[in-house]
Amino acid sequence: MTRFGQVFRRGPWEGAATLVIAAGVIMLMQPFSLAFYGWSFATTLAGTVLFLVASHFPDVPSGGGGDRG
Amino acid sequence: MSVDAQSQSVLAPGPWSKRFAAAVVILYAGLAVLPLLWIFLTGFKTPPDSIAYPPKFVFEPSLEGYVNLFTTRSRQSDDYLAGLPPPTNWVDRLVRSRNMVIAGPSKFGQRFVNSVIIGFGSTALAVVLGTLAAYGFSRFRVPLADDLLFFILSTRMMPPIAVAIPIYLMYRSLGLTDSHLGMILLYTAVNVSLAVWLLKGFIDEIPREYEEAAMIDGYTRFQAFWRVVLPQAATGIAATAIFCLIFAWNEYAFAVLLTSGEAQTTPPFIPFIIGEGGQDWPAVAAGTTLFLVPIVVFTVLLRRHLLRGITFGAVRK
Amino acid sequence: MTETSSLPFLSVGTAAEAPSQFAGRLRGLSDRAMAWLFIAPTILLLLAINVFPLLWTIELSFTNYRANRPNAPLRWVGFDNYASILSDSDVWYAMQATAHFVVWTITLQVLLGFGLALLINRRFRGHGFWTTVILLPMMLSPAVVGNFWTFLFQPQTGLFNTAIAFVTGSDPSSFQMIGDVGLAPWSIILVDTWMWTPYVMLICLAGLRSIPDDIYEAAEIDRASAWRRFWSITLPMVLPFLMLAVLFRGIENFKMFDMVNLLTSGGPGSTTEVASITLKREAFEKWRTGYSSAFAIILFVTVFGLANIYVKALNKVKQR
Repeated sequence: MTRFGQVFRRGPWEGAATLVIAAGVIMLMQPFSLAFYGWSFATTLAGTVLFLVASHFPDVPSGGGGDRG
Repeated sequence: MSVDAQSQSVLAPGPWSKRFAAAVVILYAGLAVLPLLWIFLTGFKTPPDSIAYPPKFVFEPSLEGYVNLFTTRSRQSDDYLAGLPPPTNWVDRLVRSRNMVIAGPSKFGQRFVNSVIIGFGSTALAVVLGTLAAYGFSRFRVPLADDLLFFILSTRMMPPIAVAIPIYLMYRSLGLTDSHLGMILLYTAVNVSLAVWLLKGFIDEIPREYEEAAMIDGYTRFQAFWRVVLPQAATGIAATAIFCLIFAWNEYAFAVLLTSGEAQTTPPFIPFIIGEGGQDWPAVAAGTTLFLVPIVVFTVLLRRHLLRGITFGAVRK
Repeated sequence: MTETSSLPFLSVGTAAEAPSQFAGRLRGLSDRAMAWLFIAPTILLLLAINVFPLLWTIELSFTNYRANRPNAPLRWVGFDNYASILSDSDVWYAMQATAHFVVWTITLQVLLGFGLALLINRRFRGHGFWTTVILLPMMLSPAVVGNFWTFLFQPQTGLFNTAIAFVTGSDPSSFQMIGDVGLAPWSIILVDTWMWTPYVMLICLAGLRSIPDDIYEAAEIDRASAWRRFWSITLPMVLPFLMLAVLFRGIENFKMFDMVNLLTSGGPGSTTEVASITLKREAFEKWRTGYSSAFAIILFVTVFGLANIYVKALNKVKQR
């Protein structure tokens, strides 16, 4: 249980999800590659789902400064 | 200079720094407000003056735009006009001078009334629902409160056209297309999210000790809400209502896609004020002026709460 | 700034610590029932007007349904609609047009808005009045004002063309803001910037006013230059607020419809055809309801993802 709490902390996972969503949005609107455009929706969807899941992870107050600034 | 620079800290800018700031800000404000002034002025031009080259800054004011806004007119031959009894009022005289007679009222009045009905209807409903829900979220332990609040907010963020597709189908099968009720419900749904978030902030600021005291005195929870919390939240409720009203008043996408006649509001109507040979710009400007004046008044009234309103209650100063 | 305690929606803090002992004292109804009584009407309305239609859109997005032919046989097409949108170069161009609009409006609005906020924060005499004047365009109807800008953009007789001609010494009929393929994207950027710079300005102003004076006083003692003070104090402190403004404007402009529809309605050609305009054409002109439902879901998910980030930014600001 403690292990679970350590790995699945909200801060870093939310940060990662934010990055995935941002990547999806950029892929959707970039003018360079049609292939990236094709995969944009899947990326955004994955990021959004990850965010929704991550926002239910416990928010362990850790001294490690894990939370994104 | 260096002495001077030291004495004027960032906290208290020096007089020249202030003068420079004032000059730039006033210049920007002047430029920003110029299109609005131009709308106002164009409303008092005659159609030829409105499309004069170069644009006329000085002109003889005329109410033709406002007359054209509220009437439909038909062009008549000189013989026909000569056979008519003399004009009885200034409106007739103005229209006759253009070789026209008034055929009837325009639809602008009806569209404006629609805007008022739908605006006030949806505002009232959104504020009632929003106040209740905000109180619920503020004072009770609601399961999954975070998720519900996010869900409520996310409904406001959705692209209106994307929402309009199923709403169009749903309203078509329910017979709500182009009806006041349909538009009121739709605008309420959009506004209630803002209302909940804003009002929750306002209600959070009311100390719960007031209600506790009232309930110790024998009030029920609902009486405490009604007689203690509501009066305390009055300012917040008023500010929220104005925000909802402004949204409903300004909304265009749903209105243009879901209404065509009966329940159409003003924004989709104004671009279709057509004169002879294209848009009747003085009439458009007159309609735009009448449409914008309430919002300008509201903005001035709201200015202390604007920041709160545009950040869903997150920034409170 | 320690943020270890950042609850996702901090505002709920008061409810989380709710002294439910007194709330539960109500006769008859339990605490939970009471809470639902207050919240349920709102949730029901949103279920009817938002969630049910959303689910319906998802269903339609897997079909070939056409709203103008409700009796045509309905065929289940799986992910075909999604696949064809995500490989359609016309839709891709519409997304690029949207990107051009979003990136430039946000850049201009941040530069202008932040700049104006810094100046207004010097609190010259009358700054309150001028702030209100600057805020006006933001509150007006984008559709009604967008329509009027077509008048200001008239070649020759329009005020905008005249003003530009006056400044540059060119002929006012030598350029068309709306009719020209090269200029039309800039005309919508210009009008949007005019309308929404005040929004960014107002939020930046709040950010500037949230900076405690003593930080600057400390910098004063350190004799930090104005340049350094800006980069090491002002900007980092205002950044969360700026992020909030950028995200919200980003979402709003990503789905921009009303102003663009009335100013250029996507034209000339499809140079200003942003995502919402394409969606409107597919859904309400070509009546490809199934296809446009899939497109709507794509835009939907994108906005929903961004909204998650926005709310995170909201809570960050709320802590200040």
